[in-house]
Amino acid sequence: MISLKALSKNPFKSLLIFSSITIAVMAIFLISSVSQGVIGMYSKMIKTDGDIIITQKGISDTFFSNVDIALIQKIDALQDVASSYAMIVGASPIGHIPIAGIYGTTQNHMSHYKLIKGKYPKAGEVILGANLAKQFATIGVNIGNKRFRISGVFSSDIGFEEGGVVMNIEDAGELFNRSTSFILVTSASPNATEYIVKKIAELSDEVEVKTTQNFVKEYNQFKIIENSSLVISTLAFAMGLMGIASVMSMIVNSRKEEFGIMRALGKSRLFIIKNLFFETLIMSISAYLFALILSLGILAMLPHIEMLQGYVNGTLSLSTALYVFASTIFMALFGSLIPAWIASKTDPILLINQGCA
Amino acid sequence: MIKVSNISHFYGAEQVLFDLSFEIKSGEFLFLSGESGSGKSTLLSILSTLLKPSNGELLIDGESVEKIKNIDYFRQSKIGFVFQFHYLINYLNIYENIALAALEDKKQNIDKILGELGILELAARYPNEISGGQRQRVALARALVNEPKIIFADEPTGSLDSKNSQIVYGLLAEAVKNGTTVVVASHDMQIENYATHTIRLKDGQIL
Repeated sequence: MISLKALSKNPFKSLLIFSSITIAVMAIFLISSVSQGVIGMYSKMIKTDGDIIITQKGISDTFFSNVDIALIQKIDALQDVASSYAMIVGASPIGHIPIAGIYGTTQNHMSHYKLIKGKYPKAGEVILGANLAKQFATIGVNIGNKRFRISGVFSSDIGFEEGGVVMNIEDAGELFNRSTSFILVTSASPNATEYIVKKIAELSDEVEVKTTQNFVKEYNQFKIIENSSLVISTLAFAMGLMGIASVMSMIVNSRKEEFGIMRALGKSRLFIIKNLFFETLIMSISAYLFALILSLGILAMLPHIEMLQGYVNGTLSLSTALYVFASTIFMALFGSLIPAWIASKTDPILLINQGCA
Repeated sequence: MIKVSNISHFYGAEQVLFDLSFEIKSGEFLFLSGESGSGKSTLLSILSTLLKPSNGELLIDGESVEKIKNIDYFRQSKIGFVFQFHYLINYLNIYENIALAALEDKKQNIDKILGELGILELAARYPNEISGGQRQRVALARALVNEPKIIFADEPTGSLDSKNSQIVYGLLAEAVKNGTTVVVASHDMQIENYATHTIRLKDGQIL
């Protein structure tokens, strides 16, 4: 009750704390969510279309991987292999767009891209992702030194693909000077996956064969993104924490007289600490909820921002939301209890006199 | 009631009270007088347990203040304090300001005290919505609500005009009649008309 009254009677100070917590929480939410979204999009792209992935040995990034496409025939001949396809992933300027994803794939994988207009590409043709297609009213696009005819437009749940271009693997191979980036294999039964992995590994010394689950777990780029995100989130968290602690310290200093009066009236240290803690807690929880709503709003808008071409997507998981909630509570505890404890230990009359100073 | 033995106090390296010893009996109206800087406010803060003395011992009701386990409850139940600038909490209304100080079983006294001090109609207002004289009466009501054994007042009329000062002194004298011990530190020599004893301080020593 007293906590609520104190908050409502000091609107500027309350707003200051509320804003600093909101910004800190939003920073953590957005940084974590966007990195999770990037990882989520790429891993979904790999995981949904195969159980096994074959990449060049010793290459940390699929963008630089070069696998002999001829291997696909040997793989298809293996027992329990249901299907396989090859894909080249790359990035290049497309017309006036400075950079976009390019996916070259074998014909048997084309149906993965849901056509909303036109038809699948033949040699010298491309289909554009729905987001990218909004940028082109022409019938052709220049990619590298070559002009491609736009044969259709496709849609995809994966933001990378929505903002990219799909073409035949032969055209992509010419463009990026490689055979294929990786091969994806689907096994006839989940029990056969490990057996197929072993058999494919025996086919060539130059490739690395993994289940897509393991690949996603071990993929260096994901680790880099996750670690970078962790570092940036931790910094945002630390900055938020310091911001809240310094604001709380200013608030406590500006309220020394009030705390001194309370102590003079016989109110205990615990009473003062408890009230200050609840004030911060009320603000932290409301700021957290406000930041959550704002972050969800921003994350929902991201895929529709034309400039980003759907490349930046955010995924806000329950675990992130809970982690950030726990962090916010920690911020409130740390930020309010230490200065309150220091103030509560001071003689009441000194607090009153310091408050007047 | 209150026994002061060899109390000295320092602010950093500066000594402001020098080895003071005296007693205050129950039901006295003690006037602590002295110039600015004489140490009367510091002494009042020590007597009212709001400041720990650097040296010496303070006994209240036979108990050494140093050894009291729950000083907060002791302060709330036995001591009332009136400050020069009333020091009401600005985000609480008049009733809530007094309730903040009141023990649970004394909250029923609030309306009665407000009525006796002629400020019952101000109960729902906030400190910045009433006059200086009214605020000091609220501060007095807050000091009286727990029916304390001792009331300490530091320059209680320092910010009041003569008429309001007389009202405050009258109310403190009334409390003395009801058996409360009152200790007032002030420049205002009018208090001598109400006080039963006076201690004069100069440069931290009793004259």
